[in-house]
Amino acid sequence: MSAGSPAAREELNELLIRAGRGDQQAFAALYQRTSSKLFGVCLRMLRERGEAEEVLQETYIAVWRRAASFDDGKASAITWLVTLARNKAIDRLRQHREEQLDPLQLEETADGQPTPAADAETSQEHQRLQRCLDALEPRQRSAVREAFFTGATYNELAARCRIPLGTMKSWIRRSLLQLRTCLEQ
Amino acid sequence: MNTPADHRDDDLRHAEYVLGVLDAAARAAVEREIRDDPQAAAAVAAWQRRLAPLADEVEASTPAPYVWARIHDALQLAAPAAPRPRPSLWNNLHLWRWLGLGASVVAAASVVVMLVQPHRAAVPTTTRAGYMAAAIEQDNGVTGWTATMDLQHARMIVVPATPVAFAPGRTPQLWLIPPGEKPISLGVIARDRPTSIALRADLLARLDTRALLAVSVEPSGGSPTGQPTGPVVAKGAIGGA
Repeated sequence: MSAGSPAAREELNELLIRAGRGDQQAFAALYQRTSSKLFGVCLRMLRERGEAEEVLQETYIAVWRRAASFDDGKASAITWLVTLARNKAIDRLRQHREEQLDPLQLEETADGQPTPAADAETSQEHQRLQRCLDALEPRQRSAVREAFFTGATYNELAARCRIPLGTMKSWIRRSLLQLRTCLEQ
Repeated sequence: MNTPADHRDDDLRHAEYVLGVLDAAARAAVEREIRDDPQAAAAVAAWQRRLAPLADEVEASTPAPYVWARIHDALQLAAPAAPRPRPSLWNNLHLWRWLGLGASVVAAASVVVMLVQPHRAAVPTTTRAGYMAAAIEQDNGVTGWTATMDLQHARMIVVPATPVAFAPGRTPQLWLIPPGEKPISLGVIARDRPTSIALRADLLARLDTRALLAVSVEPSGGSPTGQPTGPVVAKGAIGGA
């Protein structure tokens, strides 16, 4: 699925709206079209298949229950779905993993820089965001990406990058403000 | 009164919430704010629009089919159930799940035998219990698989309860460990659907309440040595009916 194409996005919006009206077939089709993407997001954050499956399940249960509140004037369906999945995954991380991090894993992830998708078929929104991210200082950019993809707290990020907590906070905050300015241009 | 500096700090907090760097307490505070204050909700939504496109980079990964089955069950959706071909009764995880979890596994096995053997009316005359069962548990106490043994028909069905993570190229293999004996392979089992195993006479003779079932991590295709080569990820004692 080329989720980036405007037509594909429009179709997902339509499916989510129909699910919001109680259309089970639309909901099943929405799951078929989007579950691989959301599972990828959950897996990347939780890094454990069983947990990612549970969070994916919670996510779609919430999708069905809250679909009626989806407003395509405010967000696209895929943004709405990704947000819901990330929030569920972050909640899970905070529940189970706060303060129990394996130092060995931290070192591994500090080295492993997230790589941009080889696939150039990303959305226009992504390309715009990517240009703004490229303008950030490299270490700050990788901290922002690490935060987004892993759902790590400030404390965890600071430990992974071996820098003081205060420095990590100012890196992230400065980056966020810079991104906002850049995206509003 | 809100000064521009406060406003800037608020917006940063909303951005931090969306990025995911806040701890549980700070997240909960922002979530309350979103519920109570439409302006905060709008600010958070704006940050979601800004940052969510990063998810385009995440590699998609197809979830196991039982995830949809569980969602379908949890929401009690009407048929048509699955956005995939309907599995046969024996391979229908949905049915096994429904039967196996909650109700007693043994009772479940009886129901299934009635379903799959509708014409067999004779009452078994064997003095041995007709069925045995085991919950094969991970170290954290979570059941990874349930095994039900139908002694009369010399079959075992092993049903995944909670998915256990395996690295690519690794597969679960089931072992019977009679007391004081080496593990005997029952073969490679599936992680996402029931596995049906025919029980040879020598295996059948060793099924008793002192024997264990264990699952080890093996290369695809199973242990090359005939004995477990990887760590045991789940085990459980066999119970009688």
